Parts: sequence; C-alpha cells; structure tokens
Amino acid sequence: MNNSTSESLSVDELKSSQAANRSYAAQVLCEAFTQWGARFGLFWIAVLATVAVFAPFLANSHPLLLSEGSVVSSPLLQYLTAGDFVMLSLFFTIVVLIFLNIRFYKKVVVLFVTGSITAIIAFMLVSPPQLTVYDQYRVKQAAGAYEWIIHAPIPYSPKDYIRDEGDTGLEAPLASEERTHWFGTEENGSDVLSRMIHASRIALGIGFVATGIAMLIGIIMGGLMGFFSGIVDMIGMRLMEIFEAVPTLFLLLTFIAFFERSLYMMMVIIGVTSWPGYARFVRAEFLRLRQQEFVQAATACGLPLRSILFRHMLPNGIAPILVAASFGVASAILAEATLSFLGLGLVDDPSWGQMLNQAVQSSTFNWWMALFPGGAIFLTVFAYNLMGESLRDAIDPNLKKSAG
Amino acid sequence: MLLQVDNLKTHLCAGKNIVKAVDGVSFSIDKGEIFCLVGESGSGKSITALSVIQLIPKDICSHPDGRIAFRCGDLDGRGEREMLDMLTVSEALKRKVCGARIAMIFQEPMTSLNPVFTVGDQIIEVLQIHWPEMDDTEARRRAIAALAQVQIPDPEMRIDEFPHRLSGGQRQRVMIAMAMACEPDLLIADEPTTALDVTVQAEILRLMKELQARKGMSILFITHDFGVVAKMADRVAVMRKGKIVEEGTLQQVLHQPKHDYTKQLLAALPENLKRQRDLQLVESPSPAAASPETESAQPPLIDVHQLEVYFPVKKGLFRRTVDHVKAVDGVDLKIPKGQLLALVGESGCGKTTLGRAILRLVDSTAGSIAFNQQEITQLQRKAMIPFRRDMQIIFQDPMSSLNPRMTIVGTLIEPMAVHGIGESKEERIEIARKILERVQLDGDHLWRYPHEFSGGQRQRIGLARALVLNPKFIVCDEVTSALDVSVQAEVLQLLMELRAEKALTLLFITHDISVVEYVSDEMAVMHSGKVVERGPTADICRNPQQEYTQNLLSAVPRLVL
Repeated sequence: MNNSTSESLSVDELKSSQAANRSYAAQVLCEAFTQWGARFGLFWIAVLATVAVFAPFLANSHPLLLSEGSVVSSPLLQYLTAGDFVMLSLFFTIVVLIFLNIRFYKKVVVLFVTGSITAIIAFMLVSPPQLTVYDQYRVKQAAGAYEWIIHAPIPYSPKDYIRDEGDTGLEAPLASEERTHWFGTEENGSDVLSRMIHASRIALGIGFVATGIAMLIGIIMGGLMGFFSGIVDMIGMRLMEIFEAVPTLFLLLTFIAFFERSLYMMMVIIGVTSWPGYARFVRAEFLRLRQQEFVQAATACGLPLRSILFRHMLPNGIAPILVAASFGVASAILAEATLSFLGLGLVDDPSWGQMLNQAVQSSTFNWWMALFPGGAIFLTVFAYNLMGESLRDAIDPNLKKSAG
Repeated sequence: MLLQVDNLKTHLCAGKNIVKAVDGVSFSIDKGEIFCLVGESGSGKSITALSVIQLIPKDICSHPDGRIAFRCGDLDGRGEREMLDMLTVSEALKRKVCGARIAMIFQEPMTSLNPVFTVGDQIIEVLQIHWPEMDDTEARRRAIAALAQVQIPDPEMRIDEFPHRLSGGQRQRVMIAMAMACEPDLLIADEPTTALDVTVQAEILRLMKELQARKGMSILFITHDFGVVAKMADRVAVMRKGKIVEEGTLQQVLHQPKHDYTKQLLAALPENLKRQRDLQLVESPSPAAASPETESAQPPLIDVHQLEVYFPVKKGLFRRTVDHVKAVDGVDLKIPKGQLLALVGESGCGKTTLGRAILRLVDSTAGSIAFNQQEITQLQRKAMIPFRRDMQIIFQDPMSSLNPRMTIVGTLIEPMAVHGIGESKEERIEIARKILERVQLDGDHLWRYPHEFSGGQRQRIGLARALVLNPKFIVCDEVTSALDVSVQAEVLQLLMELRAEKALTLLFITHDISVVEYVSDEMAVMHSGKVVERGPTADICRNPQQEYTQNLLSAVPRLVL
C-alpha cells in the first residue's frame, strides 16, 4: 500500500515507531523504571519482599541443620508455621509466573489457585510444636552434643529473649564478645535485627492487603459511578463523602479499645476507610473514557456491558489508580507504625512502630532501637513514594509532550 | 526585505532521537507581504515559524545551521535599523523583539488566553512591558482602540470581560488585537482559523487582510488549507518533510505547480476529486444518474421524526435540573436505502449529537427513530443488540476511536463474537484479515496496537471495525476532518468504493462543504439543533434558499480552478 504521502516527521510518530511491538503497560513501566528514583524504590521493595518471605531462614534460633548422634535433622523446618509455607509457595509461583509467557489475567488466576491450595494443605498438615525452648540448642552445643550444626545467618528468633545476662537485656550493637547482635538487642534481650526482619512481613502485608481492599472497593464503586453517572453517581458521591469524614486513626483506636488487637482488623479498617480516594480516581477516569470514541464504538457494536467496563474502559483507566495505590501502601504502613508506636499495635509480634515505642520507653536513649526501625520505615515509605512519583510522571501525557 | 531565512535547520531531540524538523529552509518576506507556508501535518511549517520567533525551548532544539535575519525597526525608540540574527541574538534583546516587532497568533483560541485575567489586563500587560513609560489610562485607551480595531462590539465594556465570556471567534480577535497592540512589523499566524467555523473564519481572514493592508505589516501565514491560501497569500511556499519543495507567487503555485508533490496535493483536494469524477462520468455515462428517481418508491431505511435531544444543566447538591441545552431540536430526517445524506453544519449545531442519537448512543428526549420501519427509540440495551449489527459509526478522531490497549485483531473480532459471525476464532481472524486487506491495510497489521499506525491508517481501521459486522447503515462523523488532504482523498475514495460495493446507506456528517460536494447527492444543513435546508447537493450549493445556508456557503474559502 502506498502511504508515503501520509508519512510524517513528527516526534510522536517517531516515538511510536520506536516503541513498536510493545504494549502501553510495557512502555509505561519501561519509562518509569529508567529513572534512578524508581529503580532504587523497586530495589528496596524487592529486597524487603525477599527478606520478608525468607525471614525464618534468615533469622531463627532453630538451627538450619544439625547432626546429633549421626542423625541429621532440621529443627527450623519443623518449626515453620503454615503461614510460612503459604508465603514461600506464593513467592515461588510468582517467580515462575514472571518468566512464563501467558496472559496477565491467567497469571492472576494461577496465583490465586496455588495460593488457596497451599493454604488449605498447609493449615491442615503443618502443626509446629507449641512449646519452643530456644536455649536448648545453645546449651547442647556448648556441651558438645552435636557433631556439626548450621545456624541461620542471624541465630536468634525475634522472641528469643535472653534475660539472664543482667537486670536488662539491652545491649548496644556488637557490644558483647560472645554474641553478635548486629543491631543490638532490645530490653528483653532479643535481637533487634531479627525482630526487624520478621516485622517486615507485617509492614509489607498491611500495606498490600489494606491497599488491595481499598482498591477493590474503590474500582467497583468508582467504575459504576463513572459509567452510569446520574443518580448512581449522586448516591455514590454522598457515600464517599460520608466515608471520607471518618477519621481512620480514631476508628482504629476505638476498635482496638473494644475488640482484640488484630492485624487483620487493622488491614480491613484501613482498607474500608481509604477507598473513596481510589473511587474518585476511577470515577473521573470513567467519566472521561465514557465519552471516548472507542467506548462509543464498543457500545455501537453492541458489546455487553461487562466487556465495555472491564476490557475497554478499566485497562485504560487503571494507571492513575496504580499511582495512587503506591502512595496508599506507604500511608498504610505509616498508619500501622503510628498505632504500634502508640502501644496499640500487636501485643506479641514485633513491628517497626512497636520497636520505636520501645526505644522511647527505656530510661536511657538507646539509639540503635530508634535508628534502625525508624530508618526502615522511612526507606520503605520513601521507596513507595518514589515509585509512585515516577509512575505518575510516566503516565502523564503532558510531560511527554513538553519533551517533544 | 523584512525577514530573510537562509538554510535554516532546526533539529528536535526527543531522548536519543534527533528529528530534523526543519531541514534547510530558505525564504524571505518583504515588507507588507503575506507569505503562506503550506504543508501537511508534520511537514515542519509550525516549527519553522517557532524558530523565527525563537519559541522552542532551548533544551530540546538545536540549530546546526542557518541564519534568520530580521530587519528590526525602531527598538527603544532610537530609530536604529539593523539586521538581527534571531539565532544568535541575546535573550534580553530577543524579549524586546518578540511581541513588539514580531508577534504571533496561535491556532487554539480557547487555550491561548489566560482564563484568570480579563482580556484588557492581558493586552495592557503586553503594552506596558514593551513601553514601560506608558501610564495606565493611556494603556487602557490603547487596549480599547486595539479591540475596536479588531471589530469587537462595545470594546469599552468588553475590555473587562474574562476570556470564557467570549466566543471562539471573539477570542481569536482578542489574540489578534494583542498581537497588533505594539504594531509589529511581522505577524506570525500559525493556523489561526483552523479551530474556527467557516463563517467565523471568513470574518477573521477578512479582518487580518484589512489590518495588514492598513498597517503595512507582513504576515507569515501558516496553514494546511489551500482555500485559505487562495484567499490570503501574495506568495506561497509548499513544505514537505522539513524542506520547501516549491515557492512562488499565488498564481504560479496554484495554477502552474511545478513540483510533483504540489500537484499531488492539489489533485487530492475534494474540489478536484469531484472534477475528476465528473469528467469520468461524462466519459462513461452510467446508470447512477437514474437512482434519485427511484428513491421515493422505496421506504426509508432511517426515519427520524421530530427528534429532540436535550441535555439537562444540573446544579446543586442533589443535581436538580435547572435548564436544558437543546442539542437536537425537532429534526425530521428520512434516509432512503442506499443513499448518502450529507449533514452539514458548524460546530455546536447538534449534527454529531443527531448522528449518535440515531444509533441510540445518546438517549433522545422526544420524537421517534425508526430503522427499517422498526421503532427503536425506546428499546432497552439488550433489545438494541440485534440492531447494533446493522448500524455502525465511524468517528472523527483517529487517536481516540481505537482502544489503545487492544490489538487490532481484538478490536475487530470481539464484535463478531458477540453477534455470532464466524464459527471459531480462527475463522473470525480470517474475516478480519480480509476486511483489513479490503481497506488497503496489510493483513499482518492485525497483531499491532493502534499507536503504531498513522492517522489515515487508524481511520481505515475504524472503517474496518464498522464493516466487520456487515452493516446496512453507517454514520460517518467527520471522518476526514483530522486528516491531511492527501490522506483525506484516499479515505474518501475508499469509502465511496465500499459504499458502491456493499450498497451502504450513509449519514455523512461534516463541516467541510467541498467534501460534501464530492461525496453526496443529498445534503441537509443544520443550524442550532434544526435542519434548516435539505435537498440535492448540487441545487443547494448552486442556489441556497435559506439565509443561513447562503452565509455558510459564501464563507467557504474556495479555490478557483
């Protein structure tokens, strides 16, 4: 076909020919992650995610492997919980799926199926011993009962309290000759680094789950409001305004005061109170897209509503929501840290905010207990914000035009 | 010699790519002359103009070669007359020259005025920047004079209006007033009338020509429209891919074009297409002429009766309806099978809304629509689906009419699957491939995404999407307005071929009279929601009855060939 007359020299066309054979999503991601900020953010989150998944292998008082009377056993594996197994299986499925070349929604389905299957199996079969005596390995090792022993890189569990060294367990980083605590210990004598590693699960989990709940509600509500507008939109907007008026932190405090302290409750409350932000984005996008000619064309072709909403409109409107989500994850992490700092977080499990709280409660200022968890919170929130910002820049067509 | 451009090269850098937007352009403009740069989109005509006034950000453009000499009269009131090289001039001097000695008007009047200042403030600011000694009352007096000069009614009142209170044409007048306030030697007008309706365009062009003659200034006029060129230019240069391919007086370029590209462009004008077709018809008399007589016997395929589409204006917390915008206000329209009816009107006359209301993409307020004698006005979404197959639409904007996240094959086969065309996915892909080849695209283009195509190609894909369902009726909503003339000619010819081949009934919505003359036998003229005149195209164009139609037709810039 002779189309030479319509050839043009504009920058846009040159860009698009260069980006040939790549989908829009790939282009945006490529553009976003060429910036150093986004790369740093992604790197930090990846490190954090890996650490969170392999936390029991990285920091655990149970040895990885030991040989006692020429019987080789792995106490660490025995003490793994069902949750650990689910996390590991999900992690490996995701790694495999990234390299598999199948459609995105199929990947989501596969992930969901493997996740639920392993969850069922793990909760039925895995039952770690209830009673744990962390000291037994150290005592036996000192007595020379093992032929050989392989410890985890940080041989202390987060709840391995070593109190018998004095009246307080506090110890500055690398202060003791006989034990190496890289980040020192807290007042009960447990290892700060180990606690931080295990707490990264809570930080990431609350971020993802709370944001996931908020996004799900937000997309559905916003999508319906944007597409149908009229009376649906009016009711939806008023509902959103009601939810936006609820102060999240005080609601959390109230629930914690009346019910038990639970991580899941926190996730749900943060999620349920923060959806209006996402709904606003989706609504605005859908209102814009509804007037777009390809949506009109889809209607004119008689396509079913489901297809118009989810195949034609949602993929084109999802980008700003992802940007908002990356900021949302950061703020959910902060909310949990705030609660824990106020002493209203989880009782037993370590979390970064709770560790900061411990730092202030002690009579002396223990810098290592403020610096490391505080730094971790800062870096994680910063990383999410960096990613969000560069994603926002990448999807902003105005910025692209000004560069052309 | 006022402006002398020698071998100008402007390279734009986008990331690592360098685009040679202007590649060795030379021309000169004399005092008191209108010089037109014509070219299709992407030919570098705007970049040339922006280079002259040095408005491209320094970090994305470079000038490897060239010289822009501008004879700058009377800077600082010292009366010096020197040739400035705009490429090497200092920032401070450049700011003095721009606005005062060289002024610019842009294409989009809606966005080129700052909405938070009154128009008076914006003109006075320009005046006081270039003449700091001018006091407020004097500046205001001159601003009013400038507005009066561009024939804004009640300039004393209008000077305190905010831009949103003015119409598009009035805003463009204000832009001209602002540009002329300092009485520049050179006015650069970058497609100043492209975004305006023909009647407004005619007024603005007349005004510019008048002012130019009175003030004796020069205009560098950039356009893609040969009709406008014929009206305005003293001398013309045709640009293509960053180079000037032909330059000469208006007569030479339009009537004795030497370069092939110029000839090609002129041949692609709808006026010329029509002439060619008429010649062919004379050579081979066909039975086509007999068709209008049979139409009265046939029942109309589309029968619109007293159709009204009102858009409510809602306000307040509970969105009470306070007023209506009457987009379509009582339209009767019958389109017989196989006919092409052209619907002509200026922007905002409701022609697009009417087209969409017929397809039930917009809900109508009152009246009835019948397709093939079946009433479809009140059908629910589900009940409409069988009719969707027979009624399709092609849109104006090739950018937004295709889903950017879907491959072409996805866009084409999804409607087929819904309507049960083709047994299997493979068969549907095969049908899609055939249709794509029918609209003169490569079958392998199926696997690409919309952004990989040019505007004309996307418009063909839009046509293919309408055709996959094998419809009886297609609404063509300004299908060629966003395309260059040569591409427009290809798309129009393709559409005409397909129409004959598949016996399609078309509602062809457009604002371009020359296109109407080429494509249609019947036309209807719309004005503020009503059809004011309807009849055979040739009759209406030759002898319009209504006053509105007469104004509209006389405003069209024509190329006398």
